Amino acid sequence: MKLKHLKTVRVVVSLVLMAVTSVLFLDVGTAVTSRLSPLVVPFQIVPALTKSVGGFGLWTIGAAVVLLLTLAFGRVYCSSICPLGTFQDVVIRLAERARGKRRFRYAQPKFLWHYGLLALIALLFLDGNLLLLNLLEPFSNYGRMLQALVRPAVIAGNNGIAYVLGLIDVYAVFQVAFHPLNIGVMVSALSFLGVVAYLSITRGRLFCNLLCPAGALLGLISRLSFVRLVIDPRTCKECGLCEKVCKANCIDSKRLHLDYSACVNCFNCVHVCPTVGLKYVGLFTPTPAKEALPVDKGRRRFLAGSLTSMTVLVGAGTDTLVVPPAERQKHPVTPPGSVSIEHFTARCTACHLCVSACPTRVLNPTFLEYGVRGVLQPKMDYWANYCNYECTVCGTVCPTGAILPVPIEQKKLIQMGKVHFVKDECIVVTKKKDCGACSEHCPTKAVRMVPYEQKLMIPETDNEICIGCGACEHACPTVPYKAIYVESNVVHLQAKKPPIEKLEKPKEETVEFPF
Amino acid sequence: MDRRAFFRRTIGAGALAGTYLALAKRDRLFALQLPGEKPLPYDLVAIRGGEPDVMFDKGIEALGGMSAFVKKGSKVVIKPNIGWDVPPERGGNTHPKLVAQVIKRCLEAGAKEVYVFDHTCDNWQRCYTTSGIEKAAKDAGAKIAPGHMESYYHPVTLPGATVLKQAKEHELILESDVFINVPVLKNHSSTRLTITMKNLMGNVWDRGYWHGNDLHQCIADYAAYRRPTLNVVDAYYVMKRNGPRGVSVGDVVTMKSQLLSTDMVAAEVAGAKLFGQDPEGLRYLQLAVEKNVGRKDLEKLNIKRISV
Repeated sequence: MKLKHLKTVRVVVSLVLMAVTSVLFLDVGTAVTSRLSPLVVPFQIVPALTKSVGGFGLWTIGAAVVLLLTLAFGRVYCSSICPLGTFQDVVIRLAERARGKRRFRYAQPKFLWHYGLLALIALLFLDGNLLLLNLLEPFSNYGRMLQALVRPAVIAGNNGIAYVLGLIDVYAVFQVAFHPLNIGVMVSALSFLGVVAYLSITRGRLFCNLLCPAGALLGLISRLSFVRLVIDPRTCKECGLCEKVCKANCIDSKRLHLDYSACVNCFNCVHVCPTVGLKYVGLFTPTPAKEALPVDKGRRRFLAGSLTSMTVLVGAGTDTLVVPPAERQKHPVTPPGSVSIEHFTARCTACHLCVSACPTRVLNPTFLEYGVRGVLQPKMDYWANYCNYECTVCGTVCPTGAILPVPIEQKKLIQMGKVHFVKDECIVVTKKKDCGACSEHCPTKAVRMVPYEQKLMIPETDNEICIGCGACEHACPTVPYKAIYVESNVVHLQAKKPPIEKLEKPKEETVEFPF
Repeated sequence: MDRRAFFRRTIGAGALAGTYLALAKRDRLFALQLPGEKPLPYDLVAIRGGEPDVMFDKGIEALGGMSAFVKKGSKVVIKPNIGWDVPPERGGNTHPKLVAQVIKRCLEAGAKEVYVFDHTCDNWQRCYTTSGIEKAAKDAGAKIAPGHMESYYHPVTLPGATVLKQAKEHELILESDVFINVPVLKNHSSTRLTITMKNLMGNVWDRGYWHGNDLHQCIADYAAYRRPTLNVVDAYYVMKRNGPRGVSVGDVVTMKSQLLSTDMVAAEVAGAKLFGQDPEGLRYLQLAVEKNVGRKDLEKLNIKRISV
């Protein structure tokens, strides 16, 4: 294969992977997401590494593949696997369509800034503060943009089709519910879209070399890669074409120099010029001296600055969580398998894949309900729906291990929260009428109806067998506050199995009809 | 005005003709809710000791066959209980074999199309699948319709209602010529029992309103407004406690029984007795009797009892 075809291969691979990844977030029927995600998600480097911190598995292999690819050929991930990378390429392409061919220019990479930022993100991560990681991680940001901005449009389109088909009584396409609108989530997704689009239109892949934690990490590793793109000085005609097409701004054609740790392996240069080629350079070949700036005061200032800002961020992260009205539900309920709020917030990069995959729509994104350190992470939203007793989808799709996969029988005993019954607000007390919606929906009968005055029945709760699924809270018809609700378990507990006693065999068969 | 009527109006021969069609359709629907032209041989048929499909065949035969209820070319909607994400042996939903048999007999009687839906409590797709009803219904030739979104429901007013003066009903209930109610008999934490009338709660959108505004009265109000063409009560697996969802198969006894009646009250009373509960203790039932929904004096009714 000629090297110039590398670009074509990259374009095809990246578009296919971006399409598959997008389907995960946009499948409104939610059935495809859990089946398809094991194909692509384990190769998303930051989620896969995060999950590997908690234990090894398919995702560890995925991460290892990406790291080895980087060690061998450089940042292949950035232009072929990363959906946000491909998204930027699409934006650049569309901008070129609109405004004519771009000319990129070499720019000295901000290595110190970039690696410093990575160090800061890593330190915060070790402290369980995911603010910076979540705001900058490419896969999660791509997911959030789709979830918050594109998915509603897909749902609207789906419902339009369902409506038209419904007119002729065809129900093969069915209506689906919109996710509850969350302004904070939407604004953050729009802001990110704005920043990334602006950077890619004006500066190419600057995001990847300035802000992206995956870019920084893989950039560091690519300093060791043994097969690299190099410009052959013997045949180069110094036409500068390679520099003009370099989205990563890493080719200085005047000096015949290529900053390989900033290169995102888009192979545009190889495509336009036969003098740029892959070359085996051997392991640990130092990158040319030009870019290795000497240690200077700037670095010290930067490190001091990082430490200061880190302290501020950690401090900000430890403040109290947002308290909803009525002094209730002080903490969000985290999904089954998330172990504890601490585990969940320290692992969740807020990609919102679980939000897309959740069949009941009980999982919905928050903005700051977990505090700054858990920005944008999802919660169990019992206004929207309740957790299906027989479902474990969120744990199977979670790419980071924030929600661990649990077998169904184990899931049925995970107590995410405890039921609280406010008798004085219950319909049975306030209106003196039967209701029982809470008890109806309870899968364990932790909420059961017991005799009350005037032959009425009133709920009674048992937190030994309650799993905090929110069915009672969701079904409760009282307004504005539910008379029965789930208070989050900051650390998930184990519920007891609901007692099962066999009923005596009915006398049936022999007996006549009782009427 | 339902969606279909609106559709007809826009593409039809103009607003007047459309309105006429819409009104005509409502009238036809109303007329078909009443029992057939010639009186049925029995007020109530009770069957026991067989499989759900076998019992249904015996029962419908006693009532003169499905053609007594389903005219050729009519559109039929079947409303089983598919409320919960539990398998058939848990008794939380109508037995899929019964649903399938009702569909088969409707199609044999010449029904143009048969639809099955429920406004489920648990996630609708999971309920449809786990209950076995989606597969059974499709295999039998019916179409499964969703009922999980408000957009499938359209406003209706309930004349003579005490509390539930307005509701949103599923479009298939509004559009069909024949409405067959196929509930399951089981214990219920709010209403003590759920049989024929409580099952109709799945026809409407806003169940929270019922719960928050005198559940018993709302059940009676709706039962007085919407009378099924036929009620088939599934009492094969009967959930004796922890209803309506149940916790385990330990809550269920196998009663292998079935009731058929055009009278919801009669079937309700018979069901309660079958269950072993005093129907006098069911407030919604007394309220329904007050609204002349049906007759509770079983001893004066013409009952056919069949043992298979």
